[in-house]
Amino acid sequence: MLANLSLKLFVRELRSGYLTSMLLSLVLAITIVSGISLFTDRLEKALSSETKEFLGGDLKFESNENAIKDSLKELNLNSSNFLEMAVFASMVISEEEMQLSSIKAVDKSYPLVGEVELKNESGTYKTRNNPPPGTLWLDERLKNLLFLEYGDVLYLGDAEFTFTATIVYEPDRGSTNFAFAPKTIMNIEDLGKTNIIQPGSRVEYNYLFTGSETEIGQIRTLLEKNKKKGDEIESLGEDSSSLGRATDRSENFFLLGGLIAVLLSACTVGISSQRFARRHISYVAILKTLGMQLNQIRSLYLLLFLYITLLTLSLGLSLGWFLQSNFISLMDSYFPTELPTPGFYPLYVTCLTVLICQFGFIFPHISKLLDISPMRVLRSDISFNQNILPMFFMGLMAFFLLLYIYTNQITLSLIIFSGVIVFSFIGIGFIYLMLGRSKLGLGAQDPVNLALSELRRRKLSNSFQIFAFTVAIGLSLITFSASKNLLGSWQNSIPEDSPNNFAINITKEDKDLMKPFLSEKGVEIKTFFPVANAKILRKDGQAEIDRNFNITWVEDLPDQNVVSAGNWFTEDEINGLSISSGISERYNLEIGEQIIIQMEDGAIETFIQSIRTVNWDNFSPNFFLIGHPSLFEKQTSTFITSFFIPKKDQKVASDLMREFRTVSIFSVEELIKQVREIINQVTKALNSILLLTCLSSIFLAFSALQDGFDQRRHQSAILRTLGATSGLVRTSSLIEFSILGLLSGILGSLMAHTGVYFIESKVFEVTPSFYPEIWVMGPIIGIGVVSGLCFYLVNGLMKQSPRDLLKLQT
Amino acid sequence: MILSTKKLRKEFPSGETSLVILDDISFNLEEGKSLAITGPSGSGKSTLLSLLAGLDTATSGDIILDGINLNNLNEEERAVIRKDKVGFVFQSFELLPSLTALENVMLPSELKSEEDPEKKGEYFLNRVGLSDRKGHYPNQLSGGEQQRVAIARAFACSAKILFADEPTGNLDPKNGKLISDLLFEVNSETDNALVVVTHDQELASKCDKKIQLKLGRIVD
Repeated sequence: MLANLSLKLFVRELRSGYLTSMLLSLVLAITIVSGISLFTDRLEKALSSETKEFLGGDLKFESNENAIKDSLKELNLNSSNFLEMAVFASMVISEEEMQLSSIKAVDKSYPLVGEVELKNESGTYKTRNNPPPGTLWLDERLKNLLFLEYGDVLYLGDAEFTFTATIVYEPDRGSTNFAFAPKTIMNIEDLGKTNIIQPGSRVEYNYLFTGSETEIGQIRTLLEKNKKKGDEIESLGEDSSSLGRATDRSENFFLLGGLIAVLLSACTVGISSQRFARRHISYVAILKTLGMQLNQIRSLYLLLFLYITLLTLSLGLSLGWFLQSNFISLMDSYFPTELPTPGFYPLYVTCLTVLICQFGFIFPHISKLLDISPMRVLRSDISFNQNILPMFFMGLMAFFLLLYIYTNQITLSLIIFSGVIVFSFIGIGFIYLMLGRSKLGLGAQDPVNLALSELRRRKLSNSFQIFAFTVAIGLSLITFSASKNLLGSWQNSIPEDSPNNFAINITKEDKDLMKPFLSEKGVEIKTFFPVANAKILRKDGQAEIDRNFNITWVEDLPDQNVVSAGNWFTEDEINGLSISSGISERYNLEIGEQIIIQMEDGAIETFIQSIRTVNWDNFSPNFFLIGHPSLFEKQTSTFITSFFIPKKDQKVASDLMREFRTVSIFSVEELIKQVREIINQVTKALNSILLLTCLSSIFLAFSALQDGFDQRRHQSAILRTLGATSGLVRTSSLIEFSILGLLSGILGSLMAHTGVYFIESKVFEVTPSFYPEIWVMGPIIGIGVVSGLCFYLVNGLMKQSPRDLLKLQT
Repeated sequence: MILSTKKLRKEFPSGETSLVILDDISFNLEEGKSLAITGPSGSGKSTLLSLLAGLDTATSGDIILDGINLNNLNEEERAVIRKDKVGFVFQSFELLPSLTALENVMLPSELKSEEDPEKKGEYFLNRVGLSDRKGHYPNQLSGGEQQRVAIARAFACSAKILFADEPTGNLDPKNGKLISDLLFEVNSETDNALVVVTHDQELASKCDKKIQLKLGRIVD
């Protein structure tokens, strides 16, 4: 009987149209959540395998000695999950030319992950093997510089080799620090006969490992135990490359969009549930009067909401799948292979979101509904229990849980949660006080008086309504801002003429000749940074800083560096050292701290003068340490610079390398292209999220208005019965809601401004900016959307005769 | 003649056909007189009242209220007629819950932009014996008190004709009698005509004229 009754009730509710906003909001929330989580899940899996390829394995150990090899024996590692390589710089000599190259000598396990793509006279091909002994693979640039043909003879140290292939793609391109010069790959067995590695030679030994999490854990423990000064361990997830940061940020954008849309939908569901419960008061009272037990009524409503859940889940998940397919199709050109199939996590997150929305925003209203007394049948003035605290508490709990699920960070969730609570209290309190005390009478003489009187009279409900509009407008503006301004600033951080070539190992003499040489060919160089290797020690000897840094010394603050603490160098004071904020946090270095900079040419005693935030994505030379030139007058150094060579003039790079043979030049063109491509695709995908978030906002605004209009319907009927014209009711409503919209718009702009500041500084780690358009758009959207929706609802009311409206009411 | 109807007919669409609620309703009511409309449930009493008061339009026929044919007017014009010439008392009181008793009574004067609505409101509230309850909201008043506020509001309209739809229908017999007495008492002090829809024969007997409806037609 219950199943039958609940089905009838469900069909009746669907037909009545009263559930429309709740259903649409739930479907929209599920679509967005499932779409985004399916997409990010697949993206993460793909990125993890991409990063694994980029790193060359699950774990990398870098050392200047190959001493660790003996310790590794005790692990009995299988050759399929362990690779040894030696990386160094040396001259490669052909019959006609010679050129400095970054050499990678690899053992038979190479490549440990993925495949190497090569090209020879027969075309491109992929291989899972290392170069056969006696052969060399070179990158295209080196082939051109050395004027080589396949099969030509090459010399490396004392050994002779055959050039057999050019490198198109190497999976472990992130695994070496010598990747500045054109690349050569050789077999490690040939290393001995070259006689290049001698005691004191600058060589880096890299050991790459793959395996299960436990195996990698064991290896890491062993490596940590045997690690010496200067040795470094890097594992997956520690990718700090531009590409890694770009994809991390894109995920942050998606999750932010998802969270906002879910919060908006949750508010809509809450308001719709309140209306649902109000409409069902008499129904529940009658069922109770007819003798239905509370458990049966509870089951009836549980079944009803089970149908709603199943319907919205099936619709939302289908639309979510469609949404993620669209995102994938936008991004698929970036991924070389098919994206992995999603796991169960997206389904879990979606179902959990629906469950939390139901428990937090629907069930408290249903629970109140079930408490209604059967006496309601006789006395229509009996309504809900006025205690709203438990309902409020459940809503807040659900809100916090949703935050936690989407941010996965307890501190961040607490910060946002408390921020929103404080903002709500201040916002609602402020609106309440601002609306002022109502005067005697309704002010029905004219539309303006009536509107102002209504604003004051419904102070509390208006405050909540303004708050709902504020949330809708504020969150939409945040998403809009994220989509336009944040992405814009991100895109602008890589302008069209971003430096796409780096030159290092530049001597003072080369420096003086390079600038005119390039200038003649139309390439401008802004700054040559002196660069040297340094170690910093605390003067008090406490807590050792266990790594070396590249240090430069310049008078002017480099572009896209911002001093976050202390002061930049000035001419009339004693100057010291500026450090990056990352280094300051990692080693707990503070302004004014006395330090010793230890360099090849001696030690310099100084102090920390400033801390800088650095935009590491700007494709210009960036430094952890910058000193004042006066401290480094006696230091010898080489120089580093970056410059932009247009694509059509790439020959300039080869000419430059020929002219300045000791200077190493490497191109980041491909990397810039990749990052730019991701940004463009993310922008497209985020626009879809923006559209869906705006839809959620409109649903929320509409639900809030509809809820308010239920109460106004009665008033409108009585006013019109007593002779008020439709014009008076319509105009006063429009004035009232335009004021509500304007206030909401202003507060929404304030909320968006604060939110964007927080997101820019904390989530995306860029310098926060002031966006005037937020302050223009907020009020315009507020007035436009709220009064537009109001016009639609009032027109609906005006089409009905006062008699029908009064009948509906009773 | 304050009110007259001629061959009034009201139909409501029902599927592909239409349902006749009222048919061939013709009667006259002189100024200052009272009329009771009685009949069983579903006979069309309330529909007739809403047509007479200009809350709804007839399918055919004429309703002449103070010399104006309501069936020739649009909703805006009928609203002006309601404001200037008509007062209402409903079975379910229909007070605005967000206004106090006094503010509810002031409402018609406000809509007419009359001077000092407060004074007029207080006068009528006093007249129905509720001056001490003027600051109370409807949910703080009993059913009888709410209906008294509604009566005060109806008289504050300075209307030429007052329509009351089952004014005692939601009240116990004691309160019902009090309200019906009050209605006729205050009405006698004005020159208003009064049209009452009621099941209450005692209330109907107080009226100067009575028509009985059955299945949408006048039978008596």
